[in-house]
Amino acid sequence: MTSSSQSNAGQNNSQIEIFIQELEGFAVKAESTLKRVEEDLDGNKGLLSEFSESMFTIRGTALQLGFPRIAEIAELGEELALKGQTATHRAHVRRCVAALWDAQTTVKYLIVHRDSETSEEQQILMNRLQAMLNAFGGARPKVGQDEIEALLRSRN
Amino acid sequence: MLITDINVLVVDDVNAMRVNIRELLKGVGFRTVKVASSVDEAKPLLEADPVHLVLADLHMEPLNGLDFLQYVRAHPAYKTVPFVMVTAENAKENVIAAITAGVDDYIMKPFTAVQLQNKVYAVLQRKKVIG
Repeated sequence: MTSSSQSNAGQNNSQIEIFIQELEGFAVKAESTLKRVEEDLDGNKGLLSEFSESMFTIRGTALQLGFPRIAEIAELGEELALKGQTATHRAHVRRCVAALWDAQTTVKYLIVHRDSETSEEQQILMNRLQAMLNAFGGARPKVGQDEIEALLRSRN
Repeated sequence: MLITDINVLVVDDVNAMRVNIRELLKGVGFRTVKVASSVDEAKPLLEADPVHLVLADLHMEPLNGLDFLQYVRAHPAYKTVPFVMVTAENAKENVIAAITAGVDDYIMKPFTAVQLQNKVYAVLQRKKVIG
């Protein structure tokens, strides 16, 4: 049994559909934020933190519901948006926003077509987003559950 | 106290997560699981009936999980109530902030029913809520 089917075990189809509708709602909110940023790259780039939050929510929910591909792209969007928010050059913000549109569109597509195979096109997009994130300095340092356990133990 | 007597409060702004966590908790023996979609919605639930365990998301608006932790720790009846953060947050600085703020445990998404059960049972035992 895959982790995806394990996570989905016990949830009937109607529940899954309700959850998917909620995910779609987050994606729509992210899209609306991105449009506002695009209207004024300099003045509204701070809104990218909202976009990042939407992607974070999508990532967490998708992970728990067993949709890892959605979570993977959402995480790239989450991190790239934070880079765009603090970018000092307008050209960098523009590049970020363009990449975020790709991420946003793909997340939305995958929410609807969540059971389809990963396409070559999606893999290319993920590679491109990762490369851009690396070019902007990479993602923030992350911790896993093991490291969290160690942090909790050292505190106690 | 038995697991079946424990009142759990789950605070998460995502409906899918509230339903998921509540179902997982019920599946491992908890009978009373209250849910709230925000910190403001959660506060009155603390007053209604005694709460023995809190599971809260970190990222919520306008008040987040750390705001709720502060509120709970300042509440005379809940200074020591087991408080577990349940989140997808894995950025090191934010995780450290939550642990430093005084959460009793930290569960990272995705998690299974067994992982959730192990975590909450352990924290309930550590805090002597169950034997």
